Amino acid sequence: MKRMFGIIVFFILSALVLRCCIRADVPEVTNVKTVTPDINNISYPDDNKNVTLNGVDYIQTQAPVGKFGGELVLSTIGEGPKTFNPCNTKDATSSAMASILYEGLLTTDAKTGKVIPQLAKSYYIDGNDYIITLRKGIKWSDGKPITADDVLYTYEEIVFKGLGNPSITDAMTVDGKLPTLTKVDDYTVKFTTSKPFAPFLRQLSYPVVPKHYFKPYSDKGASEFNAFLNTNTKPETIVSNGPFKLKEYVAAQRVVFERNPNYYKINLNNQQLPYLDKIVYLIVGDTNNGILKFEAKELDVISLNGNTVARYKEREDKSDYTIYNLGASTGTLFVAINLNNRKDKNGHYYVNPVKQKWFRDKNFRKAVERAVDRKNMIQNIAFGVAEPLYTAESPNSIYLNKNIKGYDVDTDKAKKLLENSGFVYKNNKLYDKQGNFVEFDLYTNAGNLEREALGVMVKQDLEELGMKVNFKPIEFNSLVNKLTNTFDWDMVIMGLTGSPLEPHDGKNVWTSKGTLHLFNQGVPKNECFEWEKELDELFEAGALKIDFADRKPVYDRYQEIIYEQNPVIYLYSPAQIYAIRKKFKNVFPSALNGLIYNLDELYIEK
Amino acid sequence: MGLLRFTAKRILQVIPLLIIVSMISFFIIRLAPIDPLAELRINPSISEETLQKEVKRLKLDKPIAVQYLYWAKSFVQLDLGYTSDGEKVSVKLKERIPNTLLLTLVVIFMTWITGIPLGILAAVKKETALDRLLTVFSSIGMAIPSFFFAILMLMFAVKTGWFPAGGLTSYNYNDMNFIGKICDISRHLVLPVIVLFTISLSGLQRQMRANMLEVLDSDYIKFARAKGLSEWKVIFKHALRNAVNPLITLLGFEFAGLLSGAALTEYVFQYPGLGRLILEAVMKSDINLVMASLMMGTIMLVAGNLIADILLLLTDPRTRKSQEAK
Amino acid sequence: MEFIRKIFKDKFAAAAFVVLALLYLIILFADFLAPYSSTYSNRDLSYAPPSKIYTINENGKPSLPYTYNYVRKYDPYLMQTVFKQDRSKKYFIKPFVKAEKHKILGIIPTHRHLFGVENGGEVHLLGTDINGRDVFSRLLFGGRISMTVGFLALLIVFPIGLLYGGISGYFGGIVDMLMMRFAEAVMAIPSFYLLIILAAILPSGMTSVQRFALIVVILALIGWAGFARVVRGMVLSVKQEDFVQAEKVMGASSLRIILKHILPQTTSYVIIAMTLSVPSYILAESGLSFLGLGIQQPDASWGNMLKEAQEFMNILYRPWLLAPGGLIFIAVLSFNLLGDAVRDILDPKSHG
Repeated sequence: MKRMFGIIVFFILSALVLRCCIRADVPEVTNVKTVTPDINNISYPDDNKNVTLNGVDYIQTQAPVGKFGGELVLSTIGEGPKTFNPCNTKDATSSAMASILYEGLLTTDAKTGKVIPQLAKSYYIDGNDYIITLRKGIKWSDGKPITADDVLYTYEEIVFKGLGNPSITDAMTVDGKLPTLTKVDDYTVKFTTSKPFAPFLRQLSYPVVPKHYFKPYSDKGASEFNAFLNTNTKPETIVSNGPFKLKEYVAAQRVVFERNPNYYKINLNNQQLPYLDKIVYLIVGDTNNGILKFEAKELDVISLNGNTVARYKEREDKSDYTIYNLGASTGTLFVAINLNNRKDKNGHYYVNPVKQKWFRDKNFRKAVERAVDRKNMIQNIAFGVAEPLYTAESPNSIYLNKNIKGYDVDTDKAKKLLENSGFVYKNNKLYDKQGNFVEFDLYTNAGNLEREALGVMVKQDLEELGMKVNFKPIEFNSLVNKLTNTFDWDMVIMGLTGSPLEPHDGKNVWTSKGTLHLFNQGVPKNECFEWEKELDELFEAGALKIDFADRKPVYDRYQEIIYEQNPVIYLYSPAQIYAIRKKFKNVFPSALNGLIYNLDELYIEK
Repeated sequence: MGLLRFTAKRILQVIPLLIIVSMISFFIIRLAPIDPLAELRINPSISEETLQKEVKRLKLDKPIAVQYLYWAKSFVQLDLGYTSDGEKVSVKLKERIPNTLLLTLVVIFMTWITGIPLGILAAVKKETALDRLLTVFSSIGMAIPSFFFAILMLMFAVKTGWFPAGGLTSYNYNDMNFIGKICDISRHLVLPVIVLFTISLSGLQRQMRANMLEVLDSDYIKFARAKGLSEWKVIFKHALRNAVNPLITLLGFEFAGLLSGAALTEYVFQYPGLGRLILEAVMKSDINLVMASLMMGTIMLVAGNLIADILLLLTDPRTRKSQEAK
Repeated sequence: MEFIRKIFKDKFAAAAFVVLALLYLIILFADFLAPYSSTYSNRDLSYAPPSKIYTINENGKPSLPYTYNYVRKYDPYLMQTVFKQDRSKKYFIKPFVKAEKHKILGIIPTHRHLFGVENGGEVHLLGTDINGRDVFSRLLFGGRISMTVGFLALLIVFPIGLLYGGISGYFGGIVDMLMMRFAEAVMAIPSFYLLIILAAILPSGMTSVQRFALIVVILALIGWAGFARVVRGMVLSVKQEDFVQAEKVMGASSLRIILKHILPQTTSYVIIAMTLSVPSYILAESGLSFLGLGIQQPDASWGNMLKEAQEFMNILYRPWLLAPGGLIFIAVLSFNLLGDAVRDILDPKSHG
């Protein structure tokens, strides 16, 4: 009996092994699917209008009239919001949540990127004066009127005093001076800057908060104010002015918003928006989990990347969602090179002096730039869904310098550049003039598949040039410590997000005093490269000019410098692709603002 | 009286333990080149002033020893401080403790009601095909990396649509009635429980089998058998009672693990438990949060051992004697 | 020999033993057995599926095994990359082909690999990863790390544990008290969190060899305290035995007594602990890699390869990436089964 059993098992096993060994060569038949490409033919509604009904200055959307009711389930990646205080947000999730609750005086037109009124009824600029008229009769979620006092309070007692997150104070400072704010009448305020300052206008999108609700806390000082509106605040007590108010926050699970009945936007039938009853944000730990939740139909909207889009694009026709490709995002991936040549307080160089010579050599950096294979990076790592990038402004930026074309990978040219600088090849290995073998470290943050794979490719590309690259992925927080505190790194692969509308936002990276001047962090003015000094001047000049046409050449030049000098070698910008359930209407995707910036206009077709 | 003194002595012993544990962990964490403000530093829109404010608030500008003393001082006053994001540690822990307790209690309950019978079964049927099968199965349970198993279960949930893709409650949970709420939570619990159950079952099953074998091997069982008692009676009346003792010690350990959570499983299932919270805190060196949870873990461990010892003392006269001899 | 014979009496243990022996042989000769090196990459073949190997040709006749190359095509509308076979040229799988230079066992230099295809062809038994590297080859090289990390960790745990426990138990009194309190404190920190904390403080400028060594040390730091306690217990009981007392009277040194009498008593425990704790180290390494704290790219370990596999899209569309998960499973299962058997043989009294 036992033997029989053994024999049977033996036969099954051998059959399986044989099955693996024998395979007939029959041509594979693949279903060729021809689909006509969809053309991006979204027609945007006309600009919003101001409509006064019963003494209330509403904002009227020109988008098609929809139906009321229903809910939208979104996701936020990470640990969820840390605070609901719009003046104290320091991370993307908290800011996103706060921006649903609180709106500012002005906002950005999603289609054109122009500054348009929001809480303000209108604005006009007269030299250095910004005169802003407020809407009459609009209310906070608790029914109290929104007046010039609230605006005055927000700016004078929070922004100008640096309460909460003082980054806004810094952004509003021109030549060390804050603007002044005067109340013209109950519904008009006037900001005055000491000099013309282009980035100022967009700062007026800063959330306006209710004085009667905030003042008791801001009076108690910074630490009380920081704890104010923390995630344990009872939702029903929060007074806000956005389209939705907070309904519920469950730690590590979700944030739920409900309709604010006092919102000041109306549709073409003069009905008060928003259409949706609820907005739900599920807090998901990583993108993978988000995808699973979308697949399980627990989410209505999902952001897709190159790896995931193929699956959903293929099924789009038979599915209940539409995919929108909004083109390259503001995210950039780059290799930065450490140009630091200074010593720490113990007298040790941050970067080995031998390496300093290479990194501070323009030809060396250019050679690295010419050796990176962007095409295959995009194909393999971004799965073809990205745009190559050669300079600091992302492809969707209105300030992108389109004259910078960039080249394909060219190893021979790169080698020539190195030889021009006195590097020599022995046995296909690269040595500098002094005979030092070119070997250095390349860092990135561990656990990020995309960057790790990029690192492997950059390493291979540079090894083609005869360099030896030690690729070392390390933990994210340790990496940032290296970049901003200890400066002991050679090259790093990182990513940053910029603004497609305001290049001045990049000043922390590009000016020599910036907090994120990675490639030469903390450089004193007199030790700057000439081109670093020029960047400083350009950023100063660009901010003082108001007109787009005047500013464009300034920012064109800054991008040129970066592409000439290559302290940072840009690789690519992944595309922003979203899928949203078809039942949602009034979806007007925009390359500048993403897919669903107009939560108040979205509705569900039943 | 003896019991009381014993307990008091054990509780006093906790203090040096807490001090050593806190010092080891505090210094290791702070020596790590991990910047708790990394997210802020890498954000171009954060200004220098904001960073300075945060450094001051977290006392990162002070020497490590001073930081430790600050921490210790407030800990003694039962103040757990704030996380690096500025939220109260005690509140964060309170949010998560019920969730983790729910998960671990369900898992422990399930493991014990299946693991012990299976262990007994394997011991009684020692070296039969059944025993072998159970051994292999329990080995399989131990051989799958927990996070990988969890991912596969999550895939299964998504493909079949039978279970939600992670989390603990649905978004419309608060609109449900009582029965609906219970069903919702149960549906969410199924998969994480399966994963943790599979992993911990094998350990318990083996433990029980081993205990049982040892007892079955002992002289008095042989004597009982020789007396001609039925096998059933031998096992359930004599053997089982004695095989349970080591399990009490084990129960103490389970108690200690109640709050440390199963980090990787919770992480994959996006379960809002302590494990995930601590994991994220450790990864970004959120010192107050990590220290609070480590202290909690240590106290739970000591408490678990203490409870086990007291139970043993009460149930087993032999241990009582040896304790008294000490 | 008696020991091995006993193992082979237990069928499961025998199978486990054979599997493990095979695995270790394979990783030992990985350079020769793998058709590619662990860093070889073909950029045009990122995430290529496993090569199909045909033994019956297109005319239905049996043939020597051959395969076709894959060609990558990108469909910009569907935003999809597809791999098609280039059926214009057959590449026969040949034994002992010449390819990348390597050294068998690190000594014998050769260009020969066990199998492969002629120039211009590519054979990827388990497909390729995101960088176009051969998963099969990396699996073999990754095994070197994953299968040895546990043993190396034990090599550190045992001396520390033996010494620490030995000293503590032998001297007793205040020394014992202090040393045991410290060990208990280490044990009181939940081991997984301690593991992460330690892995996160690894100095960042390390080479891959250093990193590997330090991960070994970290894994060891988790395990030593428990082991030291067990040793202490053994020492305490052995200490009471007459012959130890006798030697003490005769003036033998403490160290001599510890080494000569006490340590040999622990051998069987050591062997059992070895087979039973190696799998937990393999799992710990994969857990660390899951969090991005383990062995780092471009080095391969089963843990970091599995990390790549766990993305939803990869499980659905690139199941070959799951292979390291299978190997972890097999290795750990084998170690457990073998460990059970070894324990029964060496220490039939103590279970658990």
